[in-house]
Amino acid sequence: MASRDKSAWDEPPDMPVGHFVSGDVYTDPDIYKDESEKIFAKAWRFACHDSELSEAFDYRVFEQDGQSLFAIRGEDGVVRSFLNVCSHRGAKLLDQPAGNAKLITCFYHRWTYDSHGHCAGIPRASGYSGGAVSKETMGLREVRTEVLHGLVFVTLDDSVPGLTPFVGKALDRFAEMLTGQPLEVFHYNRVVLDCNWKAWHETNMDLYHEFMHVVLRKTQVNAMPMKDRKLVVFENGHGGSGGALKAAYDGYKGFAGRGNDVPPLPGMGPTDFRFINLFPSTAIISRGTVVRIDTATPMGPDKTLLEMRGLGVKGEPEEHRCVRQRHHNQYWGPFGRNVPEDTIAAEACADSFRSHAGRYQIIGRDEGMTGQDDAVLRAFYKEWALKTGRDAGHPVSS
Amino acid sequence: MSDFDSIRSLVGRSCLALNDGDFDGYLDLCAPEFAYRIVVWSPELGKDMVWLDHDRDGLSGLFETLPEHLQRSGRLSRHVSVYTVEEQADAGSYSVVSSVVVHHTDLDGRTQTLAVGRYLDTVVCVDGDYRLSAREVALETRDLGIGLHVPL
Repeated sequence: MASRDKSAWDEPPDMPVGHFVSGDVYTDPDIYKDESEKIFAKAWRFACHDSELSEAFDYRVFEQDGQSLFAIRGEDGVVRSFLNVCSHRGAKLLDQPAGNAKLITCFYHRWTYDSHGHCAGIPRASGYSGGAVSKETMGLREVRTEVLHGLVFVTLDDSVPGLTPFVGKALDRFAEMLTGQPLEVFHYNRVVLDCNWKAWHETNMDLYHEFMHVVLRKTQVNAMPMKDRKLVVFENGHGGSGGALKAAYDGYKGFAGRGNDVPPLPGMGPTDFRFINLFPSTAIISRGTVVRIDTATPMGPDKTLLEMRGLGVKGEPEEHRCVRQRHHNQYWGPFGRNVPEDTIAAEACADSFRSHAGRYQIIGRDEGMTGQDDAVLRAFYKEWALKTGRDAGHPVSS
Repeated sequence: MSDFDSIRSLVGRSCLALNDGDFDGYLDLCAPEFAYRIVVWSPELGKDMVWLDHDRDGLSGLFETLPEHLQRSGRLSRHVSVYTVEEQADAGSYSVVSSVVVHHTDLDGRTQTLAVGRYLDTVVCVDGDYRLSAREVALETRDLGIGLHVPL
């Protein structure tokens, strides 16, 4: 077939709206600003897993829309979240990523706060006159927090609807797996990638790129008829596998017998593969015996903080944990067979769009919600368009 | 050559082999019972994480499949300094602690530090022949960027 000249290359694909994405969505600073204000400042986002706050006063620091926050479990068992900022002079309160603190003390002037965000102490408070500054008025900025199936979500917006209507039925197929046995995080890795947050998240929504991974070419692509692989999309931009996809692990050297050596997670078969992407940038992926949770947090148009967690069964025998850990590491983690390949793909696309050599991403595969349909990507960009007020195919008005 | 020099040479040759992609050469330096792990302390979880864990056969399989994988382009250089060599109570077995720094040089010739950590090696000597019996890579670096498919 013919190659294309500049004019043809720059021309948007002759495809329906929603079936292609302009490279500008990955690079344009105004679009990035819109995303920050209209998506990340409002959306419910995964912050951490319940097990990371297992005891009273356990806290976990995380980022949301460029801000540092922390979640902490109170003595009443309730998880609350706050901006990680002292009410006094704005100093960052907690510098360790996790810990346990009955009282949180600002290093700067020793103001203290409890797990409810109440200001518990102001040294020499009598020096403030007029009543504007007192323990009663100087509490922390609380951030709305809800826990669903052991997943801690927060939103910076005080007025958006609650988590349940936001998630809808998207997590229903994961409920048994996430709650049938207590889970805990055994793997946590955070890396900064040189790409837009969507470029990473797309790797979790795009089944067609199975062909990139030799492991998936050998264990997944032919493990079941494509027509029997069901995909599903939900309101609010979520989408994933409709039922369990299958893997045939014997197809890859070293993976034979995987799944028969440790009990699968509740509701999962040993060779099942399920995934769900929650808008805007959380992915939950399970391969029978282990779960991975990804969160992509924008750090700029071209920088993404990627956090990846691996979860197993809490309190399980050490030999089971070792096997689950091995299952996790076969695919995932910085030395997994798949994750480094995904990051190479995300950064390779970013390279092209950064220079404007790449113009469009095509997300037009239509296989009737089966096989390697791009429906999950399209559902994501439909919601993205709704939130930003921009058509992802023509996001910058000429 | 003293035990120390022989062991230092063994650790050095293990780095050279991996740097050069000479995986058979690397395995030749390993005893049949060889066990390899990469371990990282997570301040977020308050515990060690295992990021890679293979026996000799597992590593051999990993090396065998490498050419089929999409990999980070460029070259890794492992720089190692042997800190201590201590002979264990069972004669012929040594506990070896080394620092390791791994640099990555991309296809344009730009070099960056990829990782720092320690090799915690167990070395055995059988009939005057020194082999790696176990290697634990205790990484300090946790952000490895796009990650990698080969052992450090």
